[in-house]
Amino acid sequence: MFRGKARAVSKAVAAVIVAVIIAAAGIGVGLYMATQAKPTTVTTVVTTYTSAVTTSPTTTTPEKPPIKNPDTMIVATIGEPETLDPAWAYDTASGEVIFNIYNTLVFFDREHLDKFVPMIAEKVPSVENGLVKDNGLTIIFPIRKGIKTHAGGEITPEDVEYSFERAMIQDRDGGPVWMIFEPLLGVFSLTELGNISDPTEAAKVGKMIDDVVEVQGDNVVFHLAKPFPLMTFLQIWSQTWASIVDKECAVEHGAWDGSKDNWVEVFKKYHNPETPELQEVDCGSGPFMLEKWEHGKQVSLVRFDDYFQGPAKLKRAIIKKVDEWSTRKLMFLRGDADIVYVPTQYAEEIEGAPHIRVYKNLPQLSDMALFFTFEIDPESPYIGSGKLDGNGIPPDFFSDINVRKAFAYSFDWDTYIKDVWRGEALHIPGPIPKGLPYFNPDQETYNFNLTKAEEYFKKAWGGKVWEKGFYLELLYNIGNVQRKAAAEMLKENIESLNPKFKIYVRGVEWPTYLRAMVKAQLPAFIIGWLADYPDPHNFVHPYMHSKGTFAAWQHYKNPHVDELIEKGIRTTDPEERKKIYYELQKIYFEDCPSVMLYQPVGRHYERDWVQGWYYNPIYPGVYFYVLSKGY
Amino acid sequence: MSASMRTYIIRRLLLIIPVLIGVTLLIFAITQLFSPVERASLYIRDPRQAKDLPSIIKKYGLDLPVYIQYFRWIDQVLHGNLGWSESTHMPVLKALITHFPATAELALYAAPLTIIIGILLGKLAAIKKDTAVDHATRIMAIIGWSLPSFWLGIMLLAIFYGGLGIFSPGRLSVWAENLVLSGEFKVYTGLYTIDAILNLNGAVLLDALSHLALPVTTLVTINIALLMRIMRSSMLEQLNKTYVIAARARGLKWKTVIDKHATKNALISVVTISGLLTAGMLSGMVITETVFEFKGIGYWAAHAATQLDIPAVLGFALFAGTIFVIANLIVDILYAYIDPRIRLG
Repeated sequence: MFRGKARAVSKAVAAVIVAVIIAAAGIGVGLYMATQAKPTTVTTVVTTYTSAVTTSPTTTTPEKPPIKNPDTMIVATIGEPETLDPAWAYDTASGEVIFNIYNTLVFFDREHLDKFVPMIAEKVPSVENGLVKDNGLTIIFPIRKGIKTHAGGEITPEDVEYSFERAMIQDRDGGPVWMIFEPLLGVFSLTELGNISDPTEAAKVGKMIDDVVEVQGDNVVFHLAKPFPLMTFLQIWSQTWASIVDKECAVEHGAWDGSKDNWVEVFKKYHNPETPELQEVDCGSGPFMLEKWEHGKQVSLVRFDDYFQGPAKLKRAIIKKVDEWSTRKLMFLRGDADIVYVPTQYAEEIEGAPHIRVYKNLPQLSDMALFFTFEIDPESPYIGSGKLDGNGIPPDFFSDINVRKAFAYSFDWDTYIKDVWRGEALHIPGPIPKGLPYFNPDQETYNFNLTKAEEYFKKAWGGKVWEKGFYLELLYNIGNVQRKAAAEMLKENIESLNPKFKIYVRGVEWPTYLRAMVKAQLPAFIIGWLADYPDPHNFVHPYMHSKGTFAAWQHYKNPHVDELIEKGIRTTDPEERKKIYYELQKIYFEDCPSVMLYQPVGRHYERDWVQGWYYNPIYPGVYFYVLSKGY
Repeated sequence: MSASMRTYIIRRLLLIIPVLIGVTLLIFAITQLFSPVERASLYIRDPRQAKDLPSIIKKYGLDLPVYIQYFRWIDQVLHGNLGWSESTHMPVLKALITHFPATAELALYAAPLTIIIGILLGKLAAIKKDTAVDHATRIMAIIGWSLPSFWLGIMLLAIFYGGLGIFSPGRLSVWAENLVLSGEFKVYTGLYTIDAILNLNGAVLLDALSHLALPVTTLVTINIALLMRIMRSSMLEQLNKTYVIAARARGLKWKTVIDKHATKNALISVVTISGLLTAGMLSGMVITETVFEFKGIGYWAAHAATQLDIPAVLGFALFAGTIFVIANLIVDILYAYIDPRIRLG
């Protein structure tokens, strides 16, 4: 009886376990399939892009679900801020928080990159209103009164002066403050001004910093070193590194107290610190206040009710770091995230889902190129024998323009953009991205043409390249599928021209890639640039100036180009500037120091209950003040 | 506690020091396989920052002889500073303290459930050897052992969250998070279920438990397999021993023989694996933490390691090493408790 009963129980237990497993698997697969996007009510937006992107979304969803967390906007993304100190922050994840909790003197007028609205300043300086004087060398900002800070104070002209001086003193390695130094002092870093460890020189440097920005009554006056395009100046002054900090609050958190008696000590203590004083502190006056930064998880912002332009419609904003795409997708589809970051490769998964709005074709202010190294490190392990003997390349292989042009004609843009970017990238002729001023849409460019590629390879190195062949390695950093695809495509096309041409595509980790790149060990490398400010100078300098980031790694030098670039940023007349940048784009084509691979165009995904979003490509993230939730 | 036991515990705790020195030395040696430029790449997120590589190398002393770097780090640790974690932009100690509660909360529920269910099912499988129950648990073990945790996690999320709209990822719902942030809810331990009890807040407790349901299920399903099979084989071994036959021959009830004698002896081998399992869970569960948005210590350490964040990796090694040494110590003490024949010393 006992054994019989036990057996029956055993069978029942076993049956339940197996049934649960099978059912779970079945339901799982079924529901997983069910959560995949359905081709129904998707919104797509076609944008045009001149000085501002125009977007006109339409949504046709029959039944509207109830709005989840109606007064809280949740963004699910992948990045995490590095810091909340405006003088230190140079990444978009930090910028996204900072530009919601701080104010700048002026700010971009919604979508426009070339129009500004006054914020802490009462007016946007211009020659017409008399706030730009001395041929553009003096720029005056009258400071608005009564702007409350999160710490309970009020923004004063002294706070403005302090913010810029503090930023210049801090000037950390790899930070953004070079953009403030360039127009004000004509240098790119504090240490270029003098030896800050030496008391006499430190005092001189301190005085220079003190003098370039000063309070005059209710105004703050900036003195520029050389003429600088006003629009570019205002673009820089509209971004997070130019945020105005509440001095009292900053000092309370250990920042420089404004003393100017002993500059050596000031520089010793506050220049390039290990960590910034305002790392996790909110000393702002923006529409939102920092509620909590939970590292690795999220940043929570809460509405600042005393905001000088009136309180935001949202009570809270949360920027969640959700690394796993599947989790992020489910959160978005369930309405637990309102705005979500969707990597290109997953776009199809989510595109057809109901109750979401998609903005497409949003041109981004970044581009990517294939750079040729003119003087490769002879010790490079990526150039084979180091000779033009069919088993390697000489270190100056790419100094022959025929080689560079042959490589350029070997890249198949149409296939690359269609297959790798799903059509969401642009083939642009030069380093200036489409959408920036002085972009020349009629500039001649390289197109995929293997006949021309062969022609140039035959000319290269007096015919030796074609005769003997070559071997080189093209590297990409593991995980970057776009770079890998570009390298493999180039390899395939070039190798198809001559059996003696051999290219090995090698994936390495980012640290190895970076090391090889800065040591000029890579024969050619693929890397891109993201705009600091929307001006062509910010692109032509790294790509073409002999001291620019990429050109320096390549050992590319063209004195005429250097001269033009320096002239371009010192010229205030727009017509004159246009001529300069058009010429630079022409030289870029003729010299072919690198080949532009693409300019990405992005997408923005939001639930259809999100209201008020607009696209400004220079914004580091979502600007919550203009957003609300509703139908 | 006897004097010998006390001495044993102190001796074992002191053993932590050479173990940790060994572990950190090993990690330090491995990191030296990377050049200073490669290690400095942690601080370079953008090509425009690359020009500062030399000053970064100098600032962090990455080109100094390895022993000087190591002793600098040791000196820093002795002063209570584990260094700065660049990948998370905070001091390593703070990163550990910040991320540990999420991991501890997962382990608090997953480890006991895994151990209890694993022991019970293993025991049941042994008692019902070659019956349907035994076969079913074997299937469970195979499935649990072979299922990738990320797949199981995503499937569970798809079923319950994506499909049914329950058990959302993260540690709390937005309303509960807002409550915690508002200050009305006091955070004592960082373990929300415990804090909810201390705050006498049933709603937050239920919310926290509902967020724990799926990650804990995933962990239990994956980890139960090994424990169940070890318990089964250990139990079978005991059931075939002569003392069991003798006990039965003396007329002891089958249930008493199993519960009072065989199970206790079978547990010895399970204790070791349970200790390691708990220590493993406390040191972080990278995939489960990532899929379910439980940003714990495993997520942090994996993230730091992929970015060559050496201070963070060393800090984590110290932490994990300590956890494992303590877990082993507890296991040894439990041995003595379960089997009085074992003498500590």
